[in-house]
Amino acid sequence: MSEIIIETKNVSKLYGVRRDEAAELLRGGAEKSEVLKKTGVTTALYDVSLRIPRGKIFVIIGLSGSGKSTMVRCFNRLNRPTWGSIIFDGVDLLKLSNQELLEFRRRKVSMVFQSFGLMSHRNVLGNVAYGLEVSGMGREEREKRARESIALVGLEGWEDAMIGNLSGGMRQRVGLARALANDPEVLLMDEPFSALDPLVRNDMQFELLSIQRKLGKTVIFITHDIDEAFRLGDTVAIMRDGRLIQVDTPEGMSTNPADEYVRRFINSADKSKVLSVRNIMITPVSLIKPGDGIDHALRVMRKNELSSVYAVDGQMKLKGILTLADAMRAKRESLDLSEMIVKDIPSTSPDASVEEIIPLAAESSYPLAVLDNEGRLQGIVTKASVLSSLI
Amino acid sequence: MMKKINRILGLLLALMLLAGSLAGCAPSQQAKTLTFADVGWDSILFHNAVAGTVAETVFGYQWSEVSGSTPITHEAVKKGEIDVHMEVWTDNLANYKDDIEAGALKEVSINFDDNAQGLYVPRYVIEGDAGRGIEPMAPNLKTVADLKDYASLFKDPEDSSKGIIYGGIAGWAITEIIHKKYLHYGLDANYNYMEPGTDAATSAVLVAAYDRGEPVVAYYWEPTWLLGKYDFVLLEDEPYDPELYFEGKTECPSVRVAVCTSNDFYEKDPEFVAFLSKYRTSSALTSQALAYIEDTGADYKTAARWFLKENRDMVETWLTTEQADKLYAAIE
Amino acid sequence: MNWLFDFPFIIRINTNAIDRAVRSFAADHAAFFDGIKAGLTNFVGAINWLLNHIPWFVLVVLVFFLGWKGHKRLRSGIAYSILLCIIGMLGLWGLMNLTLSIVLAGVTIALLLGLPVGVLLSGSDRANQAARPVLDMMQTMPVFVYLIPAVIFFGMGSASAVIATVIYAMVPVVRLTSLGIRQVDAEVVEAARSFGSTKSQMLFKVQVPQALPTIMAGINQTLMMAMSMVVTCSMIGARGLGNEVLIAVNRIEISRGFMAGSSVVILAILLDRLTQGWFSGRKNAGDEQQ
Repeated sequence: MSEIIIETKNVSKLYGVRRDEAAELLRGGAEKSEVLKKTGVTTALYDVSLRIPRGKIFVIIGLSGSGKSTMVRCFNRLNRPTWGSIIFDGVDLLKLSNQELLEFRRRKVSMVFQSFGLMSHRNVLGNVAYGLEVSGMGREEREKRARESIALVGLEGWEDAMIGNLSGGMRQRVGLARALANDPEVLLMDEPFSALDPLVRNDMQFELLSIQRKLGKTVIFITHDIDEAFRLGDTVAIMRDGRLIQVDTPEGMSTNPADEYVRRFINSADKSKVLSVRNIMITPVSLIKPGDGIDHALRVMRKNELSSVYAVDGQMKLKGILTLADAMRAKRESLDLSEMIVKDIPSTSPDASVEEIIPLAAESSYPLAVLDNEGRLQGIVTKASVLSSLI
Repeated sequence: MMKKINRILGLLLALMLLAGSLAGCAPSQQAKTLTFADVGWDSILFHNAVAGTVAETVFGYQWSEVSGSTPITHEAVKKGEIDVHMEVWTDNLANYKDDIEAGALKEVSINFDDNAQGLYVPRYVIEGDAGRGIEPMAPNLKTVADLKDYASLFKDPEDSSKGIIYGGIAGWAITEIIHKKYLHYGLDANYNYMEPGTDAATSAVLVAAYDRGEPVVAYYWEPTWLLGKYDFVLLEDEPYDPELYFEGKTECPSVRVAVCTSNDFYEKDPEFVAFLSKYRTSSALTSQALAYIEDTGADYKTAARWFLKENRDMVETWLTTEQADKLYAAIE
Repeated sequence: MNWLFDFPFIIRINTNAIDRAVRSFAADHAAFFDGIKAGLTNFVGAINWLLNHIPWFVLVVLVFFLGWKGHKRLRSGIAYSILLCIIGMLGLWGLMNLTLSIVLAGVTIALLLGLPVGVLLSGSDRANQAARPVLDMMQTMPVFVYLIPAVIFFGMGSASAVIATVIYAMVPVVRLTSLGIRQVDAEVVEAARSFGSTKSQMLFKVQVPQALPTIMAGINQTLMMAMSMVVTCSMIGARGLGNEVLIAVNRIEISRGFMAGSSVVILAILLDRLTQGWFSGRKNAGDEQQ
């Protein structure tokens, strides 16, 4: 089996009548805007040749209008290139008959969309099973597979929910589950996480990485976010105005940017500086008061599977933390709860940047408490959430 | 750009003003207006045009028509919203007698009262039509009573077990009488009775059947272009008796078709009312004029002028010599 | 001054020749038109037979339940069943069935024609543009213009009434079906394509279900337009409440006209609310599955 699953050669996509004239100009190195002005032809893609390795995440990055979305739609023929060829595992996609194309879409590729593209009249299960349904699979079999796929993205128990009742992150999990249900060889993802808020985006990126490692699928991932590209991509291709600028590993691209444009792109953002504690903190699931009994504290911890629990007073002012070990000791030795609360605990403010709190989080043996100016508990930051925001 | 548009608009406005003032110079001593009832059938439109032509040329009126159904135009005359009604089919208005007695409107003359109405069948049903290759279908059909034997001929499309009689137009007073007649002759045993919602619907049914050479039996009346143009036969009935007629047991009498005016108009222009009170034509004359329209495609005004010229002797009895001279001077 | 205000270029169309042609066409193809007429008449007759064999209280109870379940209010169910009883109490139950059978026949045919046409139009901008003036014409052409010709082709009675109803009432369902399908989220359609849907799978599994609320609004409007034809159609021999109104109006029997007219209004309200309630009810049920 070849290491390269998809190979494109000189793929171009032009919209307009005077395409030959436009090609002439483009060959001479003319800019997209110049071609439009002179010939009225829009250049979506020009002369893109790519080799996409099997079983890896291949990221295509670019700003809007760079042709990245047009490119990804060539891989399942939602777009038909004007010129060039696309070889998928030895099959020329441009030579498929209509019936073959349907089969190809049903078995070989599936796609995840930016605004999810889910059907509001179906529940989660119905959406995930859609691809199998149109390929003619029986109800029992397809629902079994859909349930597996739903479990894979962590949505067990939501099978019967209607799409309208899900959050954005959950919707995209459904989109991912739907794409995985067909067991495709290649997963096309068109800016799948752009519509999600930063924290959910982090979770989803993490989820995607772990699923990809588990299943070994080839993923072609479109984004306009360089951090996302570097975090996910084994290989990153950067596009501009319909042309391919550079293809390399993230490291290769960082150390050897092909030109000034790529350099600026890479320097444009570093996530940890931008993300603040507020973005990654979570609301504590359970709290105790200093006056509560030991048994109550133990029950709270057992129920939520926690190894420690924060104690607050009636105004939500932080009093300290009670660890499971201390609580057990208090129970054994019949000590008072308030004596066992550790008062000196690391805390931070919601506006601190994630980068600032990295050392603090690394040293502390408890989650960090996030306090406002008056010492009221706003949330907590676990080591895991700091880490996942940095991936 | 704005300036240019403004200038063009200004020019247009000036042109309109100019045209308006020129038009204003045309003879326009505030003409008197006169409204006629338009109940939709063609004979009244024809009579409106005749009386209207006289009103325009002799009395200097500008005339117009207000359309509405029989009862609605009747109410409008009572209210003075319509000045003149050239064809009040007195039997078709249940409250006509009461209204005249109560003085709600004025009956000024009888336009005609020699018209026929009743149940008609196409002549080919009885006699056949060799020219169109139609065999006689009911050679012995002569009277309304005979219909009993021919129910299977006039089949109801919605109820194949019975025949169908298209009765009087919904809401007309005659409709009740035709319905009683239908019951009186026991036709309800094997006929359904339908009241068409408008006379146009009956005309369409008759014309369509005639075109196809199919049998049909329906209530219709004269004078109408339809009976002038197509060859229909009125089914015979017992001789007219004013008592028994209302029970549907005899033939229909001729209807008094009256000319009425509103009380206001009657007061306002005695001279014109004097003309109307002498206005009298006949069913035959009216049919003749309608046939003229059907044959030549002329409009009602043209037909009215033709009619006035054709019947000069009669028209001169409606008017004073002076008025008649004025009329014929205008239309020659 | 007449040349300024009277339009000077008038074409004299030989209307007599056209009329004659239409009429001879009707006469020459009498068998064909009689076939259609018989089919429609039997269809209306069958519906009427069915309605006449539903006991009155069954219909009242049915309306009560539809009103109650559809609007999720006991009050609605009670109000609607009382309204229906009013028609019965006025002695117009049989006439209501007659009216209902013509309306239902017209709406059924309007939907059978209108839904597929709407789907076809949704697929092509050019077809949609070409159809627009035709649809406008069907909706704005004064009904009388085709009412009387309908009698020439199909005779007086329910067949002509159904045809006039179909012409007038079909437009909204065509328009809203086409609109609804066009308005389906482009990405949802793209997603369905990317999973290898055939055209018919796309239509029946994605586009139509997604457009359903809009399509239902079209069906509701079609029903209402069909109801608004009831009195007009009685002029060409449609029996029922409309005919009652017509007779009463022509005889200036104000109270009789008012009773029959109110029954038409009640029938329209019931049909409107019950169809609407049913669909908004279904949508709510979907939301509650959370």
